[in-house]
Amino acid sequence: MSAPASLLLAARTLVQFPRNPLLLGFSLAPVLMMFLVFGALFEGVTHLPGFPTDNYFEYLAPTAILLTTVPGIGNAAVALAADFQSRYIYKLLTTPISIGSIVLGRLIGDAVRLCVQAVAVLALAIALGAHVETGIPGAALMIALGTLLGIVTFGVLTANLALRTKDAAAVQAILPMAYLLIFLTSAYQQPEQIDSPVMRTIIEANPAEHVLRAMRELMLSGYDWPQLGIALAVILALGGIGIPLTVRNYRSVYR
Amino acid sequence: MQHRLERALDELVQLNPGRDHRPHIGGDAIVVEALGKTYPDGTEAVRAVTFRVAAGECYGLLGPNGAGKSTTVGILGTLVRPTSGRANVAGFDVVAHPRHVRRRIGFAMQEVGIDAFATARELLVLQGRLYGLRRRESAHRAELLLAIVDLTDAADKRLGEFSGGMQRRVDLAAALMHLPAVLFLDEPSEGLDPRARAAIWHALDQLRQQLHITVVLTTHYMDEADRLCDRLGIIDRGTIVAENTPAALKASVGSDSLEDVYLHYTGHAFEPGDGTLVAMERAA
Repeated sequence: MSAPASLLLAARTLVQFPRNPLLLGFSLAPVLMMFLVFGALFEGVTHLPGFPTDNYFEYLAPTAILLTTVPGIGNAAVALAADFQSRYIYKLLTTPISIGSIVLGRLIGDAVRLCVQAVAVLALAIALGAHVETGIPGAALMIALGTLLGIVTFGVLTANLALRTKDAAAVQAILPMAYLLIFLTSAYQQPEQIDSPVMRTIIEANPAEHVLRAMRELMLSGYDWPQLGIALAVILALGGIGIPLTVRNYRSVYR
Repeated sequence: MQHRLERALDELVQLNPGRDHRPHIGGDAIVVEALGKTYPDGTEAVRAVTFRVAAGECYGLLGPNGAGKSTTVGILGTLVRPTSGRANVAGFDVVAHPRHVRRRIGFAMQEVGIDAFATARELLVLQGRLYGLRRRESAHRAELLLAIVDLTDAADKRLGEFSGGMQRRVDLAAALMHLPAVLFLDEPSEGLDPRARAAIWHALDQLRQQLHITVVLTTHYMDEADRLCDRLGIIDRGTIVAENTPAALKASVGSDSLEDVYLHYTGHAFEPGDGTLVAMERAA
């Protein structure tokens, strides 16, 4: 039996990563630098009353995973747009596979890369004294949640942009927006320690916050099932909006 | 080299897999009726184009750039949606059943679509697998087709390092991986040197004769049209103005030159770039 087209195309993506070491290096370097710099800068907040850990890298590790997966998934869309510009995608479109398989294959390939990179980030955190309370299964769940959030938020957004514009530069221009999604969470500080009520409201309304909380619980406390349920519901809801929108945009591919 | 090519061709012909998908010889592989395409900017690229292509036939659309050739084959290849008329390829309507059509066609485009990070072999194997071939079968066919397009020695080089002509040959090989019933070739020898062009023509002849592949090609090269096509449609400003065998077309104007045929039926001399200008003027 032949493998599904999306898996064949994901394999194509994975084979290509080692041939583009700049992508691997430059997509991971900023995250590691941010992790080290913010870890050193905000270390003092661990002394605030009620802060859940005395190792700031432990608090920061789930954020670093999101910083890897959410902006990182944008590369899938950049590559998709590049396939339009090289016209290779039109070659694929004359085969009996759907454009959905093409997009999904790209997302799966990049998701695997991001999982590997997230493991590297977590390994650095552990090397700096962090501890994952839920062990390897919890760490895997944490990375899976981060990757899924990346796919249903920024992955879907940028894939739609790639389908509409077919322009890698246009997709690249939007990549910094991903950091906004993460910065407007309790990424660096707990919400109750933020003075501005407006900021607290924004953080509470940010879907990424609810996934981050579940990830942080896995890192610091254990399996918080209600919070995990909320995180999953957020991911499913965002996927429920984004995926049909993407399917609708498939039509724009045909002239 | 010729011996290697012949051997690869013979072996490929032995595979002859898509027989079930092949329209019966003598029937029509392609039926196009009053096909039209007007782009959103108002450019009327194709106007009431009607033609039929018999199974196993090589049909050429001859005209300058912008005459509507690529849009026509784009519609037949399911990449472009027609705004009027209908087209049936290998027994299926291109709008109603695009996936059935895609399963039965191969398409080598004017602007070559390749993946610069992949090797030639990887690209072909993936292409075959997307058509449902098993890995081993796909690898075997890739090997044969690489020999046919004379790229065995470069099989494991990345396509980004290939010249334009080499990329075009890989693109053609990719279009043949599933040995389609119908093959669309949009300007197939653009950018090829004379030796590569001759090799491609020979391979096409062999494949067509032995596998009965129907070929629709667009070209603005008169010698290519004359050499390869059983019948030609002269296309000008989005519509077919004359259609017949190259010999009959030439006889109809009392000349042995397709340039004279073009001049006679369109009222203007053949300039490969003409149509682009016309299309741009229309768009403006």
